[in-house]
Amino acid sequence: MAIIKYTPNLSLCGGSAPAPSAAPQTCAPASAPSIELHVCMGLNACKGHDRYGTNNCAGTGYCATAEQHNCQTLNNCRGQGGCGLYGDIEQQENPGNNECAWQGSCAVPIQAERFRTLGPERGKSVWLQARKLFVQRMHKAKRSYGDSPFKCGPPQNWLISVLGSYDSCGNSGDKVCSFGFNDPDDHAKKLCEGEKE
Amino acid sequence: MSQNKFFAKGGDKVTPENLGEAIQQAIEIEIATIPVYLYTYYSINRSPDQDAISGSLVQKLVAKGKTAKEASAIALDLSAELMVFSNKAGALIMSVAIEEMLHMALSSNLKQALAGLPELVGKSPSVWPTCLPGHVPPFNIDRAKLSQEQLMTFLKIESPDPLHDPKLLQVIEYTTIGKFYEMIVDCIDNNDLQYRTFLPQLIEGKGYYAQNNIDTVYYDKEHKPHFTNQDDSGDLVYIRDKASAKKAIMCIVEQGEGSKAPGLNPDNSVNCSAVVPGDFDDLSKKELSHFAKFVEIYCTYKTLNARFQSLDIGVKDINDYFVVNVAKNPLTKHYPANIAPVSELLNAVYTYIFVMVEDCYLKSGNTQWEIFMFGIHKSMIFILNSICGDIMKLTYTGPDGEVYSAAPTFEDYPFGLLSSPKSQMIDLFNAAVAVYPTISYLGQRIQDLPDVPLHN
Repeated sequence: MAIIKYTPNLSLCGGSAPAPSAAPQTCAPASAPSIELHVCMGLNACKGHDRYGTNNCAGTGYCATAEQHNCQTLNNCRGQGGCGLYGDIEQQENPGNNECAWQGSCAVPIQAERFRTLGPERGKSVWLQARKLFVQRMHKAKRSYGDSPFKCGPPQNWLISVLGSYDSCGNSGDKVCSFGFNDPDDHAKKLCEGEKE
Repeated sequence: MSQNKFFAKGGDKVTPENLGEAIQQAIEIEIATIPVYLYTYYSINRSPDQDAISGSLVQKLVAKGKTAKEASAIALDLSAELMVFSNKAGALIMSVAIEEMLHMALSSNLKQALAGLPELVGKSPSVWPTCLPGHVPPFNIDRAKLSQEQLMTFLKIESPDPLHDPKLLQVIEYTTIGKFYEMIVDCIDNNDLQYRTFLPQLIEGKGYYAQNNIDTVYYDKEHKPHFTNQDDSGDLVYIRDKASAKKAIMCIVEQGEGSKAPGLNPDNSVNCSAVVPGDFDDLSKKELSHFAKFVEIYCTYKTLNARFQSLDIGVKDINDYFVVNVAKNPLTKHYPANIAPVSELLNAVYTYIFVMVEDCYLKSGNTQWEIFMFGIHKSMIFILNSICGDIMKLTYTGPDGEVYSAAPTFEDYPFGLLSSPKSQMIDLFNAAVAVYPTISYLGQRIQDLPDVPLHN
């Protein structure tokens, strides 16, 4: 049974500040070295920093190291939120580049089919925007990077095959389903080429 | 039907003395629409099973003498039309509901600047059918599933012209929402009012309001997404002077009724020949008003119904294919013991959203931002929306012997004063999850909400 308890100190905002916890008496030994947390395929800054730890170069990793989640406000911390389907224009311009916990506006990882819903780039690929930000960061850091395993991010069907299930937020139906006269491959190709949906 | 008094202090004109009450009335008009639109929204299955629809149609068409090939072609086309329509109706209704929430916030900003703290908690209609506070003539508004009848109610709510009432002999208080706001504008125009800019408001530029999200999007038959709201269609406004006050009111009126849209016909029927085709997702055109959006849904619905009826295959109403059978105006107290605790929790979450909005008018800076983004947004998208979906998986037998899906009732939950609303909500969650473990995933989300007190 998922019973929960009310604790005033859990209030994260709007109420009184949580009481500080007691300082530890000894420092615990460091666990395994941390890896950088990022939100999707092709967005890793370092070798061995994809979900499997096997990628050989920046930008070539297979999957997110940030915790998988399915919608807005569920990301753990800075740089760990997806974006695209909810949130304001600024959030939608910054997939994987949010400042703090709960500021991402959509699911992680970012499926190739996801498009932005606001702003002048409305209808364009979210993953391509995330990759663009990543490339800018690599140039600024004077680092080389490789190709993403999928040129335009992981297709939803591939994510389902790898993760077992995948859900991003929203009630408007599945972008890759086949109702009407849908041609998912053609849509994916256009989105990949930078066209608007 | 309940009909609230327009002005407690009397008079048929908005004056500086009763301005606060008039704006509060405006807030309550906006609030009254929210449960109505949301109830109908959640009755729609936006992604029905096309294969099931198509298969059923093929069987019926073959039984009527069509060849299998002819039947398949017709069924594919009509089922695709239904898929688009169900999703589009949902997207358009959600796009209106989102703007009603914006209007509630704009009116609350007005009240904060000109009169006093906006009152939001406990202001949802408590008696159903309800009516718009002060509207003349009054008309019944139900929480009901999507139907042409329900869409007629929506059109009356958003009507740009007075409703035609041959029995109307009494003094007119207000006949359209736009005319009501005109009275407030007159008061603002003709008086030297003080603007209390030192108090917190919900203002633009902070990401509080987003015109579109994925729920206001639908796909056409070729699966191209359409965006039902425009980025520049309106936003929050910081009320600091006469100009900003009038800008906020203009936004409310134009989004609702449109600036020059024709209304209902003299016999209160809908003029479907005036429907503007297309969805205006390019910058050269403008977003449809609420009234025009509802005209579009109503007329498309009517046309599709006629197409099905012309096939003579026994389909009386296309809503059988994609609308969930929810009762009209259900109340939590009428639900059975396995549903009532879930409905209580849902109502508490719904009410807590208003508690948090009220709190935003007492807090500023980062505290306000956190309450809004991590409290209100999270509650709407991740708790309320989720629990609305979950409760509708439960069914019960109504007093008429018919089996209904449980529906969100959007009743104000009466939070007590002895403990915080959040602690009461946690108790309600524990009671609800005991009868419906499916919602256990919501526990952490509720736990993460800010702890906000009652104010008014």
